[in-house]
Amino acid sequence: MPTSPALNLALHFINRELRSRYLGSLSGGVWALVQPLIQLAVYGAVFVYVFKASGPVGGVGFVPFLALGLWPWNAFAEALMRGTTAIPDNAGLIGKVALPREVLVVAAVSSSFLLHGVGFCAICIALWLWGVPIHLLALPLAFLTYLQLFVLALGFALTFAAIQVFVRDLSQVLVQVLQLWMFASPIFYAREFLPERFRGWLDFNPVTHYVETFRAILLDTGPVSLLDQGVSLLIAIVTLAIGFTVFRRLSPRFEDFL
Amino acid sequence: MNTDVLVSARALGKSYPQVFRPRDRLRALGRLLIGARDVDAIAVLRDIDLEVQRGESLGLIGENGAGKSTLLKLLTGVLTPSSGSVTTHGSVGALLELGAGFHPEYSGRDNIAMSAALYGLSASDLRDRLGAIIEFADIGRYIDEPVKHYSSGMVVRLGFAIVAALRPDLLITDEVLAVGDESFQKKCVRWMEDYLGNGGTLILVSHSMYHIQKLCRHACWLKQGAIAAYGDVFDVTQAYLAYHERKMAVPTPARDSVANQGLEFHLLDLTLNDLAQDTPILLDQGARLRVRARVHSRDGRVPVIIFGIARADGTPVYGVSTEMDGVAPWAESANCYVAELEFPELSLLPGSYNVKAHPLDSEGVRLFDTIEHPLTVRGQSREFGVVRLAHTWKTVAPVADAAPRAATGTSA
Repeated sequence: MPTSPALNLALHFINRELRSRYLGSLSGGVWALVQPLIQLAVYGAVFVYVFKASGPVGGVGFVPFLALGLWPWNAFAEALMRGTTAIPDNAGLIGKVALPREVLVVAAVSSSFLLHGVGFCAICIALWLWGVPIHLLALPLAFLTYLQLFVLALGFALTFAAIQVFVRDLSQVLVQVLQLWMFASPIFYAREFLPERFRGWLDFNPVTHYVETFRAILLDTGPVSLLDQGVSLLIAIVTLAIGFTVFRRLSPRFEDFL
Repeated sequence: MNTDVLVSARALGKSYPQVFRPRDRLRALGRLLIGARDVDAIAVLRDIDLEVQRGESLGLIGENGAGKSTLLKLLTGVLTPSSGSVTTHGSVGALLELGAGFHPEYSGRDNIAMSAALYGLSASDLRDRLGAIIEFADIGRYIDEPVKHYSSGMVVRLGFAIVAALRPDLLITDEVLAVGDESFQKKCVRWMEDYLGNGGTLILVSHSMYHIQKLCRHACWLKQGAIAAYGDVFDVTQAYLAYHERKMAVPTPARDSVANQGLEFHLLDLTLNDLAQDTPILLDQGARLRVRARVHSRDGRVPVIIFGIARADGTPVYGVSTEMDGVAPWAESANCYVAELEFPELSLLPGSYNVKAHPLDSEGVRLFDTIEHPLTVRGQSREFGVVRLAHTWKTVAPVADAAPRAATGTSA
């Protein structure tokens, strides 16, 4: 099977990334599924039993509503964190081996999306078995949205990764920013929960579109606007283009600042 | 296809930015983003012009910190040049640092796969060569152990085995091979000779002039980030060694010719092959050397004249006086005596030397004056030591393969 050397290299790095996360841990890959499940259980318990948010949101139960927002967000946030530190994490290679450095960021982002993608599918099936009316047949459609989210995350990660080499504070700041970003996205709440005048603001958050689209596709919470799709696709592609431009411009000098 | 250029560097330079405060990083980031060059930088390499053709072998020599490794990294594309450009054609295999690119947590087998991917080898190519790599590395069961358990020798074995299996058009290697044990080093040298014999191209960094002379035809001497000498391997390595010897030598106080003129005897001049100069005169190995000194005698008494040859670092090689050989200087005039000594076939090995002359009083006891002239002997001999001792080989067999590389490496 003829593959391009760069793709071959990226696959190797993804493989390594996936294995290095679970190397030496007893539970291995199972942890990838268990960890979000625990997270979901904790959030579910807190919101349902403490905040009494058990009522249906947008026509579905709170737990499936939360699950469909939380998984894509986890993939996105983790991809950004790992992608941002991908260059310093692999400082041993840079300055010693000639390789296209984008591959390191691509591998970090891909492995996050791969792991959480598998978890996402598993949780959808689990919810369906539980009796939640999830459209499992729409999963391939959701996959396309997921792919688009990957493009957006890769664009951000490339930009951040390049800047992180020069300004080490970025990854620290990013932890806080992601926390804020999560609550600024309609993950724990639906758009309708917000006061009327703030609802429009959510559209400035690129993640809003993805969370709402996943729910619309899989849980039938509302219509999917084609214009909306087009705009967010354009945003994702532009973000990726900016990411590549910034990365290409800065990467020749990485070794001087690592 | 014997004359195509594999690597060429044009006005190549590398400088590292001066970063003292966190603010400098931010400024550098800004400058790079808008596409401007940053100005305050320390240059480690300047204006390097190199061209390596297919089938050529180039040795890089120089002191620590001269920029050899940086140059190799620029040539392999690991580093990006700050100025100038590098163009490479064909595949490049690099063995730069011990275990570069190996992940300590993974087994040797996994690291082979990773390295192969880094070299752009597809999975099926790797399957074909995996056996050969493991066989060449010859580290036994360690191949399935994590690399962190390897000794440094094993790491080098693995690294070299991968490069050997790839047979790149150009092999670039640093001093790393020195870590391997005797038998592995021999294996490597044998492999490299075979590789060179089959048209392979090599750039080698080494502090062992023996290895450089054995494997390379051309050499490049880097000094403080610039090329000090570039050309035939013997010329360059000898110049480099001579530089080191002179650096090690204890400086002799300058000759005070005015004060000497009040002495009983003083030297008027010293000529080597009729040349009286302070810059080294150049002789081919085995050439004729005539040393001639003129001595002024204040009282008209006959002096004893002594000639000596020492290495550039001061180690004496040979000395002889007129008195020892039972001759006396010839009286050119009443107060001027001359002695000339001839070495018909100078047996000094290539290197740098000083020729000295001293006048002694008539009894050969008191030494008065000194003049030294530098002398450089050049040649393509790989013999060790200072002089060639007369010898003949007994009980030996003729060499089976062709003449050694060194004998053919005459092109400049």
